[in-house]
Amino acid sequence: MNEVTYIGEGIGWQTAGNASIFLSFVASLFAAYCYFNSANNDELENGPWKKLGRIGFRLHSLGVIGIMTTLFCMIFRHMYQYHYVWEYSNDAMPRRYTLACFWGGQEGSFLLWTFWQVVLGNVLIRTAKKWEAPVMTVVSVAQVFLASMLLGFYIFGWKNPIGSNPFTLLKDTPGFTGSPIFSMPDYPSKLANTATGLNPLLQNYWMTIHPPTLFLGFASTVVPFAYAIAGLWKKKYGEWQLDALPWTFFGIMILGTGILMGGAWAYESLSFGGFWAWDPVENASLIPWLTYVGAGHVMIVHKARKNSALSTFLFPIITFILVLYSTFLTRSGILGNTSVHAFTDLGLSGQLLIYLFFFILLSIILVIVNWKGIPRDKQEEDLWSREFWMFLGALVLLMSCIQIVATTSIPVTAKLFGFLSRHTPVFKESLAKLANQAPPVDRIGFYNKWQIPFAILVLLILGFSMYFKFKNTDMKQLVRQMTIPFIAATVFTICSVLMLNETNGFYIALLAMSWFAVCENFFYWIKHKKTNFLKGGATFAHVGFALVMMGALISTSKKDVISVNTSKKSVKSIDESFSDATNIRMDQGDTLRMGDYYVTYTGKHRVGKNILYNIEYLTKDIETKKYTSQFTLTPLIQLNPQMGNVAEPSTRHFWSKDIYTHITYADPNSLKDENKESAFALARTSTISVGDKIFASRDTIVLSSLDSHIDLKKYNLKEGDIAVGAVLKVMDSNHATYSAEPIYVISGNEVHYINDTLKNLGMVFSFDKIDPKTHKLDISVAEAKHIAKDYIVMEAIVFPYINVLWIGCLIMILGTTLAIRQRILKSREAKADNTSLNEIKA
Amino acid sequence: MKKTHIVALIVIAIAFGVILTSLSNNSTYASFKEASDHPGNVYHVVGKLDKSKPFEYDAHVNANLFTFYLIDRDGSERKVSLGKPEPDDFEKSDQIVVIGKAQDGNSFAAADVLMKCPSKYTVDSIPSQKKQSSM
Repeated sequence: MNEVTYIGEGIGWQTAGNASIFLSFVASLFAAYCYFNSANNDELENGPWKKLGRIGFRLHSLGVIGIMTTLFCMIFRHMYQYHYVWEYSNDAMPRRYTLACFWGGQEGSFLLWTFWQVVLGNVLIRTAKKWEAPVMTVVSVAQVFLASMLLGFYIFGWKNPIGSNPFTLLKDTPGFTGSPIFSMPDYPSKLANTATGLNPLLQNYWMTIHPPTLFLGFASTVVPFAYAIAGLWKKKYGEWQLDALPWTFFGIMILGTGILMGGAWAYESLSFGGFWAWDPVENASLIPWLTYVGAGHVMIVHKARKNSALSTFLFPIITFILVLYSTFLTRSGILGNTSVHAFTDLGLSGQLLIYLFFFILLSIILVIVNWKGIPRDKQEEDLWSREFWMFLGALVLLMSCIQIVATTSIPVTAKLFGFLSRHTPVFKESLAKLANQAPPVDRIGFYNKWQIPFAILVLLILGFSMYFKFKNTDMKQLVRQMTIPFIAATVFTICSVLMLNETNGFYIALLAMSWFAVCENFFYWIKHKKTNFLKGGATFAHVGFALVMMGALISTSKKDVISVNTSKKSVKSIDESFSDATNIRMDQGDTLRMGDYYVTYTGKHRVGKNILYNIEYLTKDIETKKYTSQFTLTPLIQLNPQMGNVAEPSTRHFWSKDIYTHITYADPNSLKDENKESAFALARTSTISVGDKIFASRDTIVLSSLDSHIDLKKYNLKEGDIAVGAVLKVMDSNHATYSAEPIYVISGNEVHYINDTLKNLGMVFSFDKIDPKTHKLDISVAEAKHIAKDYIVMEAIVFPYINVLWIGCLIMILGTTLAIRQRILKSREAKADNTSLNEIKA
Repeated sequence: MKKTHIVALIVIAIAFGVILTSLSNNSTYASFKEASDHPGNVYHVVGKLDKSKPFEYDAHVNANLFTFYLIDRDGSERKVSLGKPEPDDFEKSDQIVVIGKAQDGNSFAAADVLMKCPSKYTVDSIPSQKKQSSM
């Protein structure tokens, strides 16, 4: 191939980006090496290795910021000659989504993750003090792995490069190389209108805030993990927990917020028909959070009693490993067609597995080596102590997590069993059977069935455990204190069960436990924290969690699909599991009863690439039989030639319920371009007299009179032509009337027809013939195809009391934030105590 | 034995139970023939859409019924009824998983379908430019 000198390729940007990637990778290796030496050799507080380690990490930070700045500028400058820019942005996208494009792809989201660990690492350099060297060794090693994800180097003749480089030119990207366009020297300027751009589904403000929050949550798990590893490595088993506690609660808060944002996003603009669908990708974000919460709580137990040290190591380690495992699940492509939104494979799965197994092995080895040394409880915990129940609560969370991991991993285990069945001589048959495992059929029902008992246990424990004291509890006092909130909870439970007409035993138990946890924690705050807002952290977080469970339960179990298909042909006859109560067809102008409302589809309009459907909800007065419009929802369909059309629901929020409306199918003809929609159906001709009616598909047409006084000039007719108009009154389904007047003209020997069109109704009328004897006319009516057939298939769901869920989320986030503050204060206090204690000893 | 040990044992027992049941309770991937041999059991069947036969959805008849013909990996074909509206871009998918039960007379009732779409980003994504450059 001839060498072409390209114009405007902007290779300088690529060089700068690659230099930054190289710097970030090498500097993280250097930092890890220096910090490792510092942790092993430095005698002094600020030894030479530690100083070098800091320099290394700061250079690494510089590299990461360099990569980000370069990539951001490329997107901002629309440099479509770069594959990443070409794939995740285009000219049509508003500027405010530049950030969303930045982390729209795998490389960008790895970068985001790396960036947050850089930020956390720099905070640790300032705050970790004597733990800096070992903790930063672990963080730096994690950074080495993350930085390697962006390298894009080919070595040893491997098929796949190490890492996926975000600065690859489009012409060098597999699948694009060799396209003739690259033979043009000025090709970069011709790419603009080919760029695919970010999936329109993601062009949403949630895409700007959800990923950074979630990734900060993921990144934060490295800190407690690094402390745990440092504790094992330096054989200081009981000191690091105090420093790691505020970090752990910070991570719990951020990751929790990120997960809930994902739920809110799904509920608001994706079409799951709910806020949580137990999709593998959703599960992947939830599983580390469960053990993270467990980690925070066993650390509190340890702080109070200096026992259960082992669990303070295991929980943060499991949490971090689960973050890596989740990353593998969602990015290796292994979930394949079991998830609606997993990433596709970028050839990074091997690298992700190495990353995962490196840290699993490191943790296992360190735990085994230190097994004997980790202090155990000398005396048995009292059954009536707070630590026993907190520990048990953490274990229930772990159980819940194991169930979700096991089920979400079915595609992984199936692959594993498939591999085994091919390579072992024994158990071939049963292994092959396991290799055919498929995910649960009724996914949501399956997970709910499993998770509700765990939720009941957790709520029960967090209801009463606050009243227990560490070590031992005076039972009489406990019973006395818990009585009033218990009575309150019972009353609330009975009222809500009656009001909701709840009959399922498990649901009633969950509802009761939620009320129990809410009341007990709230009274605890009044009684023991003297309604001090700042000290309410734990109780608020617990109340919030219980409200989330309550809101989730009520809105899911009492979810009411009101769009019930009442047509005579029921799908039940095909299969019992099929339901008529989901999707319903509505023709434009139809009014159908749904739940407490009468719903009508009034029409659609187009805004940019969206088609908005107006669904009006009305109520009917029983006495006057008059309809009153209550509100209009506008669910939409986004026309998207690249990704396929996407439907976005529309929801009306009331304090006690939400009404959710979603288009599940739209008439394909109606989705085509407006301009092409002029095609009319074959005209229908009717022979009528004055006063007769014609029925069109939706409208009624009356021939009211004949008009012989036609203004000839207006229609460019000659003097002497005979023109007769048929005056038609058209009444549509809303009883609005329109008039039309097609004209019949006799000009000499010829007959002309002057049609009349009613654009609003999409109708064309023509006056074809008049019989002078009978005075009957032939009137033809042609209806525009799209109007004649315009219909939608929609689903309408009422979610009762879903606001309880969202209020619970906010209270939980607030409570956890207050808990972080309290943990920082307490950790400072405890350190001050230790120092004074040491001084006394000395 | 300490209480913590008892708790630990119970936890391990539950964990095993949980894992085993979630592995054994589920549907498996199967062929149409296997599904027909066990009517009543729910299976995942992987296959390809038979584009030579009609796939029908008529909201005017029933908004919750979509029918199409699917050829499974063994090459046998069934008429599949799905209790939902026609999914968007259905005809573009190259692999389809139907989840449901076999029925009498060579048909299959699917409660759900999963579609795998071909990769969207290849050299074909820039066709207009190709034409220009070949001139």
